[in-house]
This record gives sequence, C-alpha cells and structure tokens, in this order.
Amino acid sequence: MSADHSRDPCPVVILSDFGGAFAMGVIGGCVWHGIKGFRNSPMGERHLGAVSAIKARAPVVGGNFGVWGGLFSTFDCAVKAVRKREDPWNAIIAGLFTGGSLAIRGGWRHTRNSAIMCGCLLGVMEGVGLMFQRYAAWQAKPMAPPLPEPQQAQPLGA
Amino acid sequence: MSWLFGGSKKNDSNTSASAEHQQIVQDEGKAQHALGFDPSQVTNVSSIISTPGALDPSRLHPLAGLERGVEYLDLEEEQLSTMEGSRSLIPSRGWTDDLCYGTGAVYLLGLGLGGSYGFFEGLKNIPPNSPGKLQLNTVLNHITRRGPFIGNNAGVLTLTYNLINSSIDALRGKHDAANSVVAGALTGAIFKSSKGLKPMAYASGMVAAAAATWSGAKSFIL
Repeated sequence: MSADHSRDPCPVVILSDFGGAFAMGVIGGCVWHGIKGFRNSPMGERHLGAVSAIKARAPVVGGNFGVWGGLFSTFDCAVKAVRKREDPWNAIIAGLFTGGSLAIRGGWRHTRNSAIMCGCLLGVMEGVGLMFQRYAAWQAKPMAPPLPEPQQAQPLGA
Repeated sequence: MSWLFGGSKKNDSNTSASAEHQQIVQDEGKAQHALGFDPSQVTNVSSIISTPGALDPSRLHPLAGLERGVEYLDLEEEQLSTMEGSRSLIPSRGWTDDLCYGTGAVYLLGLGLGGSYGFFEGLKNIPPNSPGKLQLNTVLNHITRRGPFIGNNAGVLTLTYNLINSSIDALRGKHDAANSVVAGALTGAIFKSSKGLKPMAYASGMVAAAAATWSGAKSFIL
C-alpha cells in the first residue's frame, strides 16, 4: 500500500483535522438545526425560529464534531508513533481512546462502553474502506491483452 | 565566437595532415566530453567500469536528466497555491487548507484560553471544606463551561472569515491586507446580524481590527 499523499504529515494534520471537523459540524449543524427550528416553530415565526435554532445549536454541533475529530487525529498520530506502522488497527485503537476519553466523566462503565462502541464504529468504517479499496483494485486489475487471431493454416505450396 | 561561425580560420594556415590530426583530436575530445571517458581507451567491460567518470550519472544519458539530482514526483493535488500574496505561516494548497488550518488553530486557541480562564475561575469558586472529588468536579465544570463557549464562537468567526476571505481572494485573483480587513468587517457584521445595527458595527470593527493585526503580524513574521 502506498503512502497516502492526500493527508499532511502527522503533527500538523491535527490542526487541519480540528478545523475540518469543526467546519463540517458547523455547516451540517446549520442545515440540521435550520430545518429543525423551521419545522418546530409556529406559523409566521418559522424563519426566526430557524435562525435562532442555528445560532444556538450549530456552533455546539461544530464544537462536538471538532473535538471528536481533533482528539481522534491526536490519538491516531500517537498510535502511529508508538506502533511505527500504518494499518486499520491504528484507527480502531484511536477510536477506542477517543470514545473513552470523551466519556471519562461518566464513570468507568460509561467510559468502557463508549470506548468499545467507538472502536467498533471505526472498525466498521475501516472495514468498509478496505472493501472499497479491494473492489477498486479488482476493477482496475491488469488485463492480459487479447490474443491475436490464429493464422489460417495454409496448405503447403499454396 | 568560433563555436558560432566555425573556427576554421586558424586551421587554414596548417598543413592538411596536421589539420586532419587536429580534427581527430577534436573529435576525441568531443566524444570524451559527451561520454565522460575516452572511447579509444575502452577495450572491454571491466575497463569501462574502471574508467574514472564513465559511470558518472550526470553523463550517462542526457535524456535521463540525472544531473538534476533526485526529483520527487510532482503530484497534481500537492501543488502549493500560486496566488499572489497567499503565502502564510503553513504552506497552503488552496482555500480548503486555509479553512481547515485557520479554523483549527483559532478554535484550539479559543478552547485553550477559555479553558484556562475557566480553570482559574473554578479554582476561585471551590466550595470550602469540600472533598477532593467535588473540588475536581467544580474545576472541570468551569473549564468545560468557558472553554467550548469561547472556542465555538472563535471557531465560527474564523470559519466565516476564511470562507469570505477565500471568496474575495478568488474574485480578485490575489491576496493582501485589504482583503483580510474587508473579510473581517463582513464577518463581524454577519456574526451580530440578528442584534441590530449598532452591535453589528461594533463587531464588524473589532473583527476587522483583529484581521488587520493578523495581516500585520504575518507580514512582520514572514
């Protein structure tokens, strides 16, 4: 597997992941809470309701996404630095740590369950990614060129 | 200028034999210059290998272009932004990099500043004679109340600022301090757009001033 050139090297990529996840959360939160606020407001105040819902909730969604993405990236880099290899287990271990550390104030059981949930989620994501990679490789597999048409046997002396 | 108009003037005075000899020497010199070794000296493979300069990579073949040293692959998506004045502290490949790095850095900064403010606030507000767990909880509650609040607001501001800034850059085809200030003013106005005209003007001025400070600091650092 070749190196992934679409991502930056490790220490600085944490900043980029924080920002990217935050931006994704804010924009997604705008859509989500805009629609929710619009639908949950009485007639005549629907636009106002949408705007106030966006103002109140979209930054929080962005913050949650950003903290999750940034923590995940931090743990991913840390796991890479410790294991000195890049494979799907990195993401799964980083997911375990992320889920655990985000739920650490809820007590030991909550931390454990959350870590396992997060690790499983990342495992599924990595598995699907691997499947797509395999499929793409299978689709783009090298093909043998078609054999040339066999020459018609000519009778001797013809 | 003999290389341009042909250096035959000197050869005219020589005898034909010496001219011929000179021609051969010149040819050998040319061949040595092109190949890196004298081909008349070569008899077998081992003598090629042992000839000094025969395997000099810069002379192996001109088409290989080996004399330029190791050349890394130039991937299309790895190209840095070529926009005028777009150079920043971190190399940027375009507006997505500016957006992600800018938002991430300011969000983390806000989170850290708000968190440390909340930390000291929590330390001041610890109830007297409370058990350790309650003390820890008080401090953590203050951190998680102040940190995300400031971080989220700073992050949203930077996100809007970067989106507007990149749009103006793309429209004008270059980046300079005026772009930053205008983008900051628009960002502040949008941020307080539901509070009326006066808060809008205040926020607009403040964010524009912050953007101008950042532009000045950037030009000072770079």
